[in-house]
Amino acid sequence: MKKISTTCPWCGCGCGLYLHVENNLITGVSPSRKHPVNHGTLCVKGWNCHEFVHHPDRLTTPLIKDGKTAYRRASWEEALGKTAARLAEIKKQYGPDAIGILGSAKCTNEENFVLQKFARAVIGTNNVDHCARLCHSSTVGGLAAAFGSGAMTNSIDEIRDARVIFVIGSNTTEQHPMIGMHMLEAKDRGATIIVADPRRTQIAKFSHLHMRHRSGTDVALLNAMMNVIITEGLVDVSFIRQRTENFDDFEKRVLTFTPEVAEKITSVPADDIRKAARLYASEKRSMLFYSMGITQHITGVDNVRSCANLVMLTAHIGQPMTGLNPLRGQNNVQGACDVGALPDVYSGYQKVADPVARKKFELAWSRPMPEKPGLTLTEMIDAIHEGKIRALYIMGENPVISDPDSTHVRDALAKLDFLAVQDIFPSDTAEYAHVILPAASFAEKDGTYTNTERRVQKIRKAVPPVGEAKPDYEIICGIAQLMGYPMDYSAAHEIMEEIAILTPSYGGILHHRLDANFGLQWPCFGMDHPGTPYLHRKKFTRGMGAFIPVEFIPPAEPTDSEYPFILTTGRSYFHYHTGTMCRRTATLEREEPECMVEINPADAERLEIRANDLVRVTSRRGCLEVKARVTNTVPEGIIFIPFHFREAAVNLLTINAVDPNAKIPEFKVCAAAVGPVRRRPGTRQAPRIGYYEGMRIGLDLYIPPEEMQRRDK
Amino acid sequence: MIQTYILNKNHLSFWLRQLKSAHELIAPWRDASGDIVLTELSRMHETALDGPALMPSPKEFLLPQMEQLFCYSEEGIEEAVNKQSRVLFGIRPCDISAIKILDTFYLGKNKDTYYETRRNKTILVSIACNQPDPTCFCLGLGTGPFLKSGFDLQFTDLGDRFFVEAESENGMSLVRDFPHIFIEPKTVDSEDLYEARLASQSRFEKRVNLEQVRKSIQAGKVSDAFWESVAVRCFECGGCVYNCPVCTCFNVIDRPASVDTGKRIRLWDTCMFKGFTRTAGGVIPAEAKIHRTKRWFHHKLLHWPEQFGVFGCVGCGRCAVSCPGSIDMATVALKIKGSDQTEEKEA
Repeated sequence: MKKISTTCPWCGCGCGLYLHVENNLITGVSPSRKHPVNHGTLCVKGWNCHEFVHHPDRLTTPLIKDGKTAYRRASWEEALGKTAARLAEIKKQYGPDAIGILGSAKCTNEENFVLQKFARAVIGTNNVDHCARLCHSSTVGGLAAAFGSGAMTNSIDEIRDARVIFVIGSNTTEQHPMIGMHMLEAKDRGATIIVADPRRTQIAKFSHLHMRHRSGTDVALLNAMMNVIITEGLVDVSFIRQRTENFDDFEKRVLTFTPEVAEKITSVPADDIRKAARLYASEKRSMLFYSMGITQHITGVDNVRSCANLVMLTAHIGQPMTGLNPLRGQNNVQGACDVGALPDVYSGYQKVADPVARKKFELAWSRPMPEKPGLTLTEMIDAIHEGKIRALYIMGENPVISDPDSTHVRDALAKLDFLAVQDIFPSDTAEYAHVILPAASFAEKDGTYTNTERRVQKIRKAVPPVGEAKPDYEIICGIAQLMGYPMDYSAAHEIMEEIAILTPSYGGILHHRLDANFGLQWPCFGMDHPGTPYLHRKKFTRGMGAFIPVEFIPPAEPTDSEYPFILTTGRSYFHYHTGTMCRRTATLEREEPECMVEINPADAERLEIRANDLVRVTSRRGCLEVKARVTNTVPEGIIFIPFHFREAAVNLLTINAVDPNAKIPEFKVCAAAVGPVRRRPGTRQAPRIGYYEGMRIGLDLYIPPEEMQRRDK
Repeated sequence: MIQTYILNKNHLSFWLRQLKSAHELIAPWRDASGDIVLTELSRMHETALDGPALMPSPKEFLLPQMEQLFCYSEEGIEEAVNKQSRVLFGIRPCDISAIKILDTFYLGKNKDTYYETRRNKTILVSIACNQPDPTCFCLGLGTGPFLKSGFDLQFTDLGDRFFVEAESENGMSLVRDFPHIFIEPKTVDSEDLYEARLASQSRFEKRVNLEQVRKSIQAGKVSDAFWESVAVRCFECGGCVYNCPVCTCFNVIDRPASVDTGKRIRLWDTCMFKGFTRTAGGVIPAEAKIHRTKRWFHHKLLHWPEQFGVFGCVGCGRCAVSCPGSIDMATVALKIKGSDQTEEKEA
């Protein structure tokens, strides 16, 4: 039995773990004891991350669509040839901007870098984006304006020594369990925990003060806190003078926002707001954490700016145990952004609009680069409907389930002239693909992930890929070569060398430096640079920290008599995103086999809904039927549905309203109605179809060989 | 009958290399990152014996976390029994004690073929703990830091040499062919052995009396409010059970590859999960976290002694390392003991 050190493929914590391999089969997982994030622990997903790797549903050969729905197995040669030919054809006929490319926050840095190089150098378009658009695009934009760098400022290992931990819009113990563990340890050491979240999550149960503000009123809450800090003289004047600018404008705006005004908007008692403000401002070692509860709003960027204002006001930045800490949701969503799988920047956030940066990449890749920023993920879907985008190339993403307003997305994908999907499992998105390319999973390839604290860590190949599956970068290189661009790497570390040359913040990050001490935290400018545990020391990345006044804007879709509930979406502890991996993991699937809507007991009583009753949830976009979980976790007037379940895809209901700057959709608030589903006595519900059977019936991806032969004749 | 020998540390690599020619040699090894893991050793001098308790426990070599039992098709089934002969070198005495408990479970009335095959092919070489971890509490349980019997081979580090005790035929078979390096001990070696054991016992940071805790629970002195305060800190990760060298639960699942072919595999399971007790009707008897956490402690402290005559805990302290909420056996036991004592004082 061998043990291979690697990094967990689920959330952004980036825990270190070992895969146990016996006779080329993975037999188990164990945590790394010395890893700075997990210290010998793992969450339930980490402990079960090995199970999906050898699942029989894995895609093992390229598949090509014949006719409307049937797929047939194809050779790599044929599949790559067809993809390259179709892409070249569409590029020739409609221009390079008619092609959109989606990268993946689940794939490695190397693969995303190669993919964006493919988009820019081979196709010649900046239409490259990935699902960071749906989670933290507002962070990247908002913090870039305020600080000059949109990443978690401090490190996870510092949390346990903090004195105050302020968590807003993050279900930390469930979504980033190992960061939650550090917070709990800090509490045991005497730290105060403040939580602002409409739901009573586990971290809220640990907290000393829980503010249950109405969904979508974060700006009002934060402005009122800052109002208290200013009026009570808790600001750090010298810091504001030396390190920041534009304070006066900001102060004027905030002074109008008293806690009493905020109480009316947020429904949080003014005294609680005062208490929170005093607690947060009066300690020097205060850390602020936020996640999707802040970013997934039409005011996502405003929310992030408010958080930035708060930390600058109290000088809680640029020191250990302080900072503004966005918790990134996916294992490599930080990395995918870092290496430039975004429409407006190259790797290291070098702007495509900047002629100097563009020139550098043109020289390196010997192709002219488009200067106009490309379309974002949410814009691409609309552009397909408008006929501007004719082909999509999707690497390891499942927009049908993850994007808002699923029906809109499905219609768009069905309209495409050509869709290629590269994935490890047949997903709902793959249903629309003309070519499906089987990729290698995290256990079957080498590469690096960048976790939420900017730690670039290695993943290592433990077993050979199943069937004919290949690492994603090999597939992309194959297509690029067929399209006449010389792109060939024999190993992942060669790609990392190219990233290091072209990206200042990754300048000193090479594979051989990542073996000891569990990787390096960027920025790491040179081979002797030790990495950076916390950002903005002595000086903000952009120079002066910018205060940006923010006005409260209500959510896009207010509740009314017809749709009286606020529907908010999120993740559950046992599942992960669109469920392609976790729902094929027996232990995780058993814990939460079906979608449930959380509803407050008072609402449930009024609507005559009992626990486990089937209810119908309706919005202006669609409707779905799910079972009710009657719980105090959600307050009255708010319902919560996780988005993992394809058979009850909550994104059928969500609204496609986006933040004007970051284009992030408002997943956290839309208006909905709930009602019980009454069945006549004696009519039994049809048995629930298991996930695997559902996949088979729904997709029919696998045609038995004898059937194939029959069709061939 | 226990045979004793002395092995010079300089001769260890030579001996391990000889073992490797006939067996798969599993030993602690230091990864580039600094972690020490129990894995197949390829370069003998790289074995790292100075680390803390290895995670997960050596249970995984007898009962892997995920094990393929058989493939099935129309022709019948094809069993996948692992017949590889193995030497586990450098495990701890508490691990040996745990494997003895696993044996009573898996090789008792109903024999588990897969476990039995692996167990019969595995030779256990333990090293007595001169440096117990801060999380260890085997001392009060008699499961460590060294054993008087029940091992194949037990090594004790005496600085420049190992004191080696061989009890079983399996253990003897590993040393018998090397009389030139396994030499007879002198009186001074026995004296050093005694001193090493004495010193080790004084290094324990935790003293946990599980018997006292058992009595407190039986006497109804532990309230549900206490268990609620434990349960609220549970992250439902299952780490305590996955890492426990004594926990035996597994789940069996089928993975159909087509209509009539597929695999049957078994996976470690844990009673910390809701789904563990889900019935066919969808009802979950132990849905609240408090019921699940309480049951784990009750099972180990009350039901194991009733069924097997020993606690379901050997004091290895692995749950203390792997629990994100710090509600491991030692911490909870000490809390129960503490609250019990304050009550006595008040009374």
